[in-house]
Amino acid sequence: MTTETNGAAAPKDAAKNAPAPANPSTAPVAAAAGTNPEKLTPAQLKAKAKAEKAARRAQVKENRAAVVAAEPAKKEGADGKGGKGKGKQDGQPGQSKGHRPSMSGRRPSFPGTEKEKDVRRGIPQCFSHVPMAKRIPTSEAHKDVHPAVLVVGQQMATFAIKDSISRLEATMLALRKVIESYETPEGNSLSRHLVPHVLNPQIEYLTECRPMCFAMGNAIRLLKAKINSVDINDPEDEAKEDLLEWIDTLIKERINLAHFVIARTAADLINKGDNILTYGRHRLVEKTLLKAKETGKEFSVTIVDDPYDRGGLVLAKSLRRADIPVLYSPNLGGLQLKVATATNVLLGGEAIFANGSLNAASGTADVAMAGRKASAKVTILCETINFDRERVSVDSLTYNEIDPERYTADSFRLLFDNTQDKYITGVVTEFESGGGNSPAQAILALLRRQEDPLIA
Amino acid sequence: MAPVHAAYAPSLDKWIKSLRSQSLEASIESLIYLLKRRQVKGDECATATAHTLLQVVARSKWHDVDQLLNRVQSAGSRLARAAPNEPVIGNIVRRVLGLIREEATEDRNIDDDVGSESASDIQALTPVNAPNQQGNRPAPTPVQTLQRAPTGLAGLQVSKSMFNLFSAAGNSDTPLTGASTPLSQAQPASVHALRSEVIEGIQELMDELSQADDQIASFSDIQIHPDDYVLAYQPSKTVERFLIKAASRRRFTVLIANSEPIQPGATETPYAVLRKKLNSHGVTTINLATNALMAYIPRVNKVIFGAKAVYQNGGVLVDSGAYIAAEAAQEFLKPVIVLGAVYKLCPEDPSDETVISELGNPSRFVSYANGPEIDALEIENTVSDYLPPSLVDVYITNLGPQSRPHLASILADHYKVEDIGYSLHESEV
Repeated sequence: MTTETNGAAAPKDAAKNAPAPANPSTAPVAAAAGTNPEKLTPAQLKAKAKAEKAARRAQVKENRAAVVAAEPAKKEGADGKGGKGKGKQDGQPGQSKGHRPSMSGRRPSFPGTEKEKDVRRGIPQCFSHVPMAKRIPTSEAHKDVHPAVLVVGQQMATFAIKDSISRLEATMLALRKVIESYETPEGNSLSRHLVPHVLNPQIEYLTECRPMCFAMGNAIRLLKAKINSVDINDPEDEAKEDLLEWIDTLIKERINLAHFVIARTAADLINKGDNILTYGRHRLVEKTLLKAKETGKEFSVTIVDDPYDRGGLVLAKSLRRADIPVLYSPNLGGLQLKVATATNVLLGGEAIFANGSLNAASGTADVAMAGRKASAKVTILCETINFDRERVSVDSLTYNEIDPERYTADSFRLLFDNTQDKYITGVVTEFESGGGNSPAQAILALLRRQEDPLIA
Repeated sequence: MAPVHAAYAPSLDKWIKSLRSQSLEASIESLIYLLKRRQVKGDECATATAHTLLQVVARSKWHDVDQLLNRVQSAGSRLARAAPNEPVIGNIVRRVLGLIREEATEDRNIDDDVGSESASDIQALTPVNAPNQQGNRPAPTPVQTLQRAPTGLAGLQVSKSMFNLFSAAGNSDTPLTGASTPLSQAQPASVHALRSEVIEGIQELMDELSQADDQIASFSDIQIHPDDYVLAYQPSKTVERFLIKAASRRRFTVLIANSEPIQPGATETPYAVLRKKLNSHGVTTINLATNALMAYIPRVNKVIFGAKAVYQNGGVLVDSGAYIAAEAAQEFLKPVIVLGAVYKLCPEDPSDETVISELGNPSRFVSYANGPEIDALEIENTVSDYLPPSLVDVYITNLGPQSRPHLASILADHYKVEDIGYSLHESEV
């Protein structure tokens, strides 16, 4: 929203340093006023509604601010001036382009710019391009956001739902509810109306809460394609039934079945007497190790943990319960010695890019590199829904997220890092049955051919 | 037994203050306790060792050079054994031993010059001390000595009588004590002079210790350039000084890596003082709450580590987690700079224990209250890492930036050949 702010601010330089809160209110108001008399397409109507809501909310905020400081007088002055100038033309395009840093190209579904800026101001300059999850009070969410989505958004913003697959599953189940309760308005067709008017606000809201993960992006893209392919003449009930079933299949095949197949394949890679080194806690690694133990293999596990996110300790407990010998290291110290004794390094991934590099919990890259240097086999476990076939990433600052708990110069932390494919021996997914020795590139090629007939 | 006042709030300063008021034995004992409890560690060990040895030289009874060497060695190895993970203790002991030898030889040289009987002296002594030598000419002996010396440089400037000293040390069964060297014949009259000479020497060494950080810092603006992003891995006092000095000349950004989270009780953010100082110079600082630094390496221009010790082969003892950071830096071709004063340079190769690294207290990370599953867990909290020489690009010492091949000549300049072979951990008290 920087563009909008700048545009509106330009003509009123005289009212120097007009407080930021004034801007969101002025522009949308003007925009709304401008669009009023013309013919109203649904999109415009929607924009108008949005703008009005924005204005209302800004008003509320101003009132709140008025209590705090002696600002309001200044603000009113700014309102009067800024409202005329450019708002009409600049406001909307500025908004629709937005300034979402990377993962989504959409405008925020609520006008919390000034607040967002305040929060993001703490982020050190050199990381200011990296997106960050944020908590949006449910009262500030867009009115079109479905309650189920609202809950999921909150859970994602607070990291109650954290890893990519849980987020994907929660999102799909919430969207399922949205579709379930959807009724096509008079004069519209499901395939034309559902996505832009119902689905998009949900997705925008979710993206606002926390940048979408790659699995969500993939699944939503597939879902939209599916909706677009619904025949205009199909009865609505049938079409909805179809969509719901499609979502169920997606969850079943790409998540549940994938987990089962990956755990089985990866467990086959573990031999008697092996020492498996892993980093932190990843759902697939945990499943694999437990599965291998179930099949009667005796092996030991070295868990290297992130001292700032003690997932490894949880994994350690669960493995101990299964009676697997565990060596736990709370940090990356002495890693070269630990990988030297490991036969296999098993790591879980959050996403794999088109160039074969892996996006995973921060620290994974270090462990993979150390493993490769020590000539251990570095195997990545990742569901194919996490594969991004369009984007490439060569370093960890391209696609990443800032830890919303640690985003200032006092304490800063990125959630993910990027492991180059040269550190990876093989990737295990649910698609290939070769046994984890194929590089990510091979799987990407396979996916390209298989994906469409398989799911869409 | 440790004195009471050192026991409550143990610290190096308290211990130094207590030196006057207690016996030599008591202060050595209390230092050993401090070392064993890791209450004195890192760079402080060097200062503490120098203080101890100063007391040994000044207060213990000795009548000739050999006795002095013995006293220093035995006190030194007691300290070294109390903290086997602090190689600087051994370095300081070796430095002091070398100092004593040098002073003693100088005294002797003066004597020799005055008495002008050096030639006969040598001829008289050589057969006695080296009975297996066939000829009684002194000439072959120095050659052999020089071959024995790993560096060859140590012997270059020594006088004739020094050669004799070396050959005696080299051929005797126990080269460590120097018991059969001609030094044993030093005149008791010169003991007093020697004592004050050695004390002066140790004080100079202590000055060197205290100035080392500043001297290292003076090279900072050569290494750090405007707009650099510098990654400082758990900055030690030396690194802090280095960064602050650079900040007075340059604008850059420092990423500070904390490998461990702030403890729940602690209120202030880590490195607050350092960051305040840097910020006041306009240098941006960012605390990275991670020890997985691969993600940040593409952003940084150079990585700085403070060494706990630098070994003869160029390997460096550092804080835990530094190995992986250095490895990542190398992967991205970012220079790795190690700051280590000359006194941290060990005239030995790292032992296997060093490479295997020291283990610390795991209870900070895993509480046994976590239940029976945790009870059965094997936990390793590594507190030190070993950087192999291949990962280090430059060593900055108080004598200036050094490359790995040059370390050998620095070693040769600072240690005597006899002391290099001296193993602190094996010799008996």
